[in-house]
Amino acid sequence: MTRRQGRRVVLALAVVAAGAVGHFAARALAASAQPGGGSATVTFNRDIAPIVYRYCSRCHRPVEAGPFPLLTYSDVKSHARQITVITRKKIMPPWLPEPQEWAFADELRLSDSEIALFQKWVNQGATEGQPSDLPPAPRFVEGWQLGRPDLVLTAEKPYILPASGTDMYWNFIFRLPIAETKWAKAVEIRPGDKRYVHHANVLIDRAHSSRRREAVPGAGFAGMEIRMESEFFEPDSHFLFWKPGTASTWEPEGMALRLDRGTDLILNTHLQPSGKPETIQPSLGIYFADKPATLHPMLLQIENDARLDIPPGEENFLVTDEFTLPIDVSLLGMYPHTHYLGKDVLALAKLPDGTTKTLIHIPHWDVNWQAVYRYGQPVPLPKGTVISMHYTYDNSDKNLANPNHPPKRVLGGNRSSDEMAHLWLQVLPSANSGTEDPRMVLQEALARHNVDKNPGDFEAHYNLAAMLEARGRVEEAIPQYELALRLRPEDPVANNAMGEALHATGRADEAVQFFQRALKARPEYFDAHYNLGIVLAQKEDFADAAEQLRAAVDLNPQDANAHANLGGALAELGQKAEARAQFERALQIDPQHALARENLELLLRSGMERQ
Amino acid sequence: MGAFLAQLPSRQFLRALLLSGMALLGSISAGQNATQLDGTAFNPLSGTSGKVVVLVFLRTDCPVSNRYAPTLQRISAEFQQQAQFYLVFPNKSESAQTIKNYVHSFSYKLAALRDAEHSLVKQAHAQITPEAAVFDKQGKLAYHGRIDNLYEDFTRARTAPTTHELEDAIQAVLKDKPFAPAETTAVGCYISDIE
Repeated sequence: MTRRQGRRVVLALAVVAAGAVGHFAARALAASAQPGGGSATVTFNRDIAPIVYRYCSRCHRPVEAGPFPLLTYSDVKSHARQITVITRKKIMPPWLPEPQEWAFADELRLSDSEIALFQKWVNQGATEGQPSDLPPAPRFVEGWQLGRPDLVLTAEKPYILPASGTDMYWNFIFRLPIAETKWAKAVEIRPGDKRYVHHANVLIDRAHSSRRREAVPGAGFAGMEIRMESEFFEPDSHFLFWKPGTASTWEPEGMALRLDRGTDLILNTHLQPSGKPETIQPSLGIYFADKPATLHPMLLQIENDARLDIPPGEENFLVTDEFTLPIDVSLLGMYPHTHYLGKDVLALAKLPDGTTKTLIHIPHWDVNWQAVYRYGQPVPLPKGTVISMHYTYDNSDKNLANPNHPPKRVLGGNRSSDEMAHLWLQVLPSANSGTEDPRMVLQEALARHNVDKNPGDFEAHYNLAAMLEARGRVEEAIPQYELALRLRPEDPVANNAMGEALHATGRADEAVQFFQRALKARPEYFDAHYNLGIVLAQKEDFADAAEQLRAAVDLNPQDANAHANLGGALAELGQKAEARAQFERALQIDPQHALARENLELLLRSGMERQ
Repeated sequence: MGAFLAQLPSRQFLRALLLSGMALLGSISAGQNATQLDGTAFNPLSGTSGKVVVLVFLRTDCPVSNRYAPTLQRISAEFQQQAQFYLVFPNKSESAQTIKNYVHSFSYKLAALRDAEHSLVKQAHAQITPEAAVFDKQGKLAYHGRIDNLYEDFTRARTAPTTHELEDAIQAVLKDKPFAPAETTAVGCYISDIE
């Protein structure tokens, strides 16, 4: 009667997930201006409007993030000098990476001649020009950019952003109201009032691991980074990211995102006070695909937070990491991530032929403009390519964004006052000949790399163990769980996982101790109650098994397996009426539940015999 | 009665004051001066309040201006007894109603003036919104420039300011001391853009 598969929990620090730096209607309007071409006066209608329409208007229009519109001659003239200064300093349009061979899609970078044209226009008196020279104004879609979503989720409770103070990181939990697994071909983020939301990204929480952080259900919670637990091997696969000016896009053909019943979507938002209290209430629009994904991208995380120990006053603190690809992949996009001390962000790929290419270079990091970058074309990276990150940090007073005055020692961590050194890469593994999921090969290589890098890191050992277990190598997983538990003997998740691994190799007596230790650390731990109940039932200790399974049912009344197994234990104890009620409850939740059906039939037959 | 006679000089003084008031009205009718939101002319620098006068130049669509609202309310409350604060809006295209809505939405409790002809802009040598100008009790410009150094450049803000020029300038003027620097460069939108 113990037909349930063990629950494995892979800890992963998930920072981002899909989004879309997309195509843009106004993009087709090439700047027609010929700077310095003869003595003709630069005019708005002929020379400036095409640039403004292409680069500025997408955000500088009503309801969007720009603080004032830039749609007409009078709009632009009224900020003309500001525009010349801000474009010359390359503050606007906001685009941090340097030009590179493997270009990004939708680069928002003005050319030097376009910048010069603004200067010339203002110097010549910022004239309007001939009405016939004015190109058609860009057309923008109002409301949902991808049309009417199949499902709209709105945050249950708004967040009231205080009038002043430092930046705020607020997380909204959206509980997916779907009865069965669905596939999403797009998730459009409407972050609330776009003038105050600097960026937002959606994380998939398949195990309700964020709900514990809400003081009141539906209220959301503060925090720059979110830690996710996941019950099975399910690497993050998509970037779901919004920043000002981002156009929503469809996921590439075949790459729909799986959403299960009970999945939570967490929207992590970065908010900036405006001077008055603001009400932020985001929504998500979900567009379902009519078929499951056929291509499975994966987010690879290269990082080195453990090396972050930045002395106060240090202007150039270097952190590196490198990872060798075990298989061929296509690189689709990337998301570099540091907090306020980041200074220079560089990622390189050293190809097997010895050449080195730039994946991204941001010489002046600005956390306020962090973004997901997608390549214009997928970048093929063969097996053996070494991907490296080289991040420098400035913890001196010269760094304006430094949250500490005077500077303080800063370590790696989740709070915005801590630092991070992350590089997330979205890769699509090349089709392989074997039957195994190539993402597992990648994930195991990454987990081994992390153990080598940080032998004293609990999560590194834990994740490698979970990965090995997911690949069916339980015997190899057990020593890694042991190493993890040596580092954190009380950890409930690791104790539960160790119990499952031991149970899977037939060491039930030892498993019991680990489940009990997990429950000592976290008494309301559904998985550990459930697993302990199953093992006790196998040892034919039905009274104790029923007690554990009842605790599991109380914690998660919607779990059909727990009801079915509780019914089994009760039946063994001769408590037939109660057993029947549990089987029926399991079937109510899942009418296809074979164990509950078989046992119910058995119970009814045996009951009739005895009557 | 002796008391009656003694009042004569002050009556003359009253007439003189009235005359200067008429002269002021004359210049207002030329449309050069700042106005209150009901459209009546108003000169905050007439020197009659006996207080230090602080003008803060703002623009309703300037995000830097907006972010300073809590700071400006705190500073003006702190010096309520000694300094008279005015919010000055130099953008001709911002109507009295727009300004009224703005002042209300940011919960300002300060008087707001329109300065469409830039009469106050010129007297304060203001170039940016937001920019503050501090006039001593004699009506002499003692400081103009940034409120503090929260912003280093457009979109580049510190987590908190480390210098507090406006507060320090008011303190200095109240003690009849000169304030240095008398002039700083503010970060925000250019007033010259709206001339």
